[in-house]
Amino acid sequence: MLDAADILRLESLQVHFPIQGGLFDRVLGRPAGAVRAVDRIDLNVGRGEIVALVGESGSGKTTVGRLITKLAQPTGGKLLFEGRDMTFVQDLSALRPYRHRVQMIFQDAYQALNPRHTVFDIVAEPLRSLRLVDNRTQLTDRVSEALASAGLNPPDDFFSRFPHELSGGQRQRVVIAGALAVKPELIVADEPVSMLDVSIRAQILQVLVDLRDKHNVALLFITHDLPLAWLIADRIAVLYLGKLVEIGSADEITFNPRHPYTVALRNATPQIGANAGRAELPALQGEVPSAARVPNGCRFHPRCPLAFDRCRQEEPPPIEVGPQHMSACWLAK
Amino acid sequence: MSKSTIRYSGRTRARAIKTFLGQFLGYGGAQLGLLCLVFFLVTAAMPNILVGPLQTAINATGDFLAPPSGQHLLGTDEVGRDVLNLVVHGARISLTIALLATVISLVVGTTVGMTAGYFGRWVDVWLMRLTDFFFVMPSFVLALVITPVVLEVMGRGREILGFRPSLFVILVVIGMTSWAFVARVVRSQTLSLKERTFVDRARVAGSSNFSIMVRHILPNLVPQIAANGALVVAGAIYVETSLSFLGLGDPLQPSWGTLLSLAQRAGAASAGAWWYLGAPGVCVLTVSLSFVLIGNALDDTFNPRRRVIP
Ligand SMILES: Nc1ncnc2c1ncn2[C@@H]1O[C@H](COP(=O)(O)OP(=O)(O)OP(=O)(O)O)[C@@H](O)[C@H]1O
Ligand code: SF4
Ligand SMILES: [Mg+2]
Repeated sequence: MLDAADILRLESLQVHFPIQGGLFDRVLGRPAGAVRAVDRIDLNVGRGEIVALVGESGSGKTTVGRLITKLAQPTGGKLLFEGRDMTFVQDLSALRPYRHRVQMIFQDAYQALNPRHTVFDIVAEPLRSLRLVDNRTQLTDRVSEALASAGLNPPDDFFSRFPHELSGGQRQRVVIAGALAVKPELIVADEPVSMLDVSIRAQILQVLVDLRDKHNVALLFITHDLPLAWLIADRIAVLYLGKLVEIGSADEITFNPRHPYTVALRNATPQIGANAGRAELPALQGEVPSAARVPNGCRFHPRCPLAFDRCRQEEPPPIEVGPQHMSACWLAK
Repeated sequence: MSKSTIRYSGRTRARAIKTFLGQFLGYGGAQLGLLCLVFFLVTAAMPNILVGPLQTAINATGDFLAPPSGQHLLGTDEVGRDVLNLVVHGARISLTIALLATVISLVVGTTVGMTAGYFGRWVDVWLMRLTDFFFVMPSFVLALVITPVVLEVMGRGREILGFRPSLFVILVVIGMTSWAFVARVVRSQTLSLKERTFVDRARVAGSSNFSIMVRHILPNLVPQIAANGALVVAGAIYVETSLSFLGLGDPLQPSWGTLLSLAQRAGAASAGAWWYLGAPGVCVLTVSLSFVLIGNALDDTFNPRRRVIP
């Protein structure tokens, strides 16, 4: 798993949000506990690789993305970019070279665009802030180029429009253009198409795949949709309650899942579930527990149809189940 | 950039402004408030043309405390000065002080509120303690403390920015006591704005905190600042009036408050000289009411949700 070509490596990265206890707890000195949003994650992304991060709502996908883009501070572990330790870098001048190379695409494009800025200013902002251009001509050229790569043609038609004058698909393209403008090497895409019409999804995904194919940009593609992950990604990492439970190639995870949670996810999606031994396991039951009260042992055991005694006491470590395929389940061996 | 860009931008802005004005002027309160305000602003802009130079006891023309007549439309005061003349000149002083004090309070309040809300933690705690301190500070006490200092430093007869020292004190006192209100409003708005995704995007774009505050937060605060600014002016006029009424004004640059104070001391109420008390009193009420009407209309225009409430 440790490859010299890796652009990004997370080593037992974790973030625990403290819970503000009530007055009683504080007076009695009771510890209020913490939301274990991301719990000791190991993940690597190679140059030009597309890795999908899949999980249900609340599993911590966005938090992982925010850790990587330095919008949230980890409480432990390591974040290595090209081998350099970026875990606790917070100072803007030290962070700027990183921002130049790691960008983010946000889930809700409407929220991600300042309603009072024009498209030109939005796309130009990283170029100006990171001082990547020397003059107005260069700035205009780079903005045009980014808008064109994101599929907004002709670019000048969009320069002075405001976000509310654009369609949902166009807005997401503007967000993408803003991320592309700096020519990054890694893009974290947080559910970039989940708010879009099906008809527009394919076009937006094509823009992202083109980025990798033409510019060798690595992509961490966050989604809750397993078939979509299979479609776009080289590898898939499955997140459950802040923990990576299975990682492997897209085909392996989709057609040969080894973790009961991944199996349940796949069975829940009719397209691939139907022809892949549906009877193996019953469908998932119950709700995802809160990240503030992670179950002991294997965190999936309250919902796992195969759970046995050991699962309730001991947390399973990641176990190699094939080449480049890891599953954190006692039954994986 | 091409020509099409400029045309587009102009058109979009013009359309936005037109929509805004259309909604804003749709409120009866806004129309009434603006009408009164324009009237008083015009009056304050050219007092000498309208009523001649400010009358003093020396060049006063009328009888003592004469009731309104053809010659003195609003009667005269206890030394024979024309009340209309005094009120028109007072408009200039009152409005200038109120508007300047509002500018001070908006600048200070926005800076403090935005900084506290944006940085949070100990910055917020200490700035808000400071804000609370000024929030409960009575303006009269502050004026009593500051007046001797200013007189000592500037000298009694000198003028600061065209104001005599006591008016300058009033200006500073109103500015210092009203910014806390603005700071609270701005802080709470900033708290919600800084959680918006476009602020995260700006951070990923490598923008500094300063640039995020100026380019992302501030423009989105404008509606709140404008609506509350109008209310701050209304408050400033009241405070100016009461401070002057308590004798902190300057008889050589009489504001409406000073006139009320003079009238009260001359026994206008017991002498039945209603015009002497009434003229400045009605002016104060009308102007502060117009600012309140404008502020509420601005608030309703920017906050469409509030319009549903009858
Ligand atoms: N700032 C925070 N403070 C406390 N808890 C947080 C914070 N941010 C996230 N959480 C918690 O961390 C967990 C993971 O949240 P996250 O937003 O990363 O999930 P997600 O997988 O992106 O979900 P979704 O698919 O709904 O976007 C949730 O339980 C959430 O409540
Ligand atoms: S370890 Fe046990 S509970 Fe966890 S997934 Fe495997 S079988 Fe289920
Ligand atoms: Mg999310």
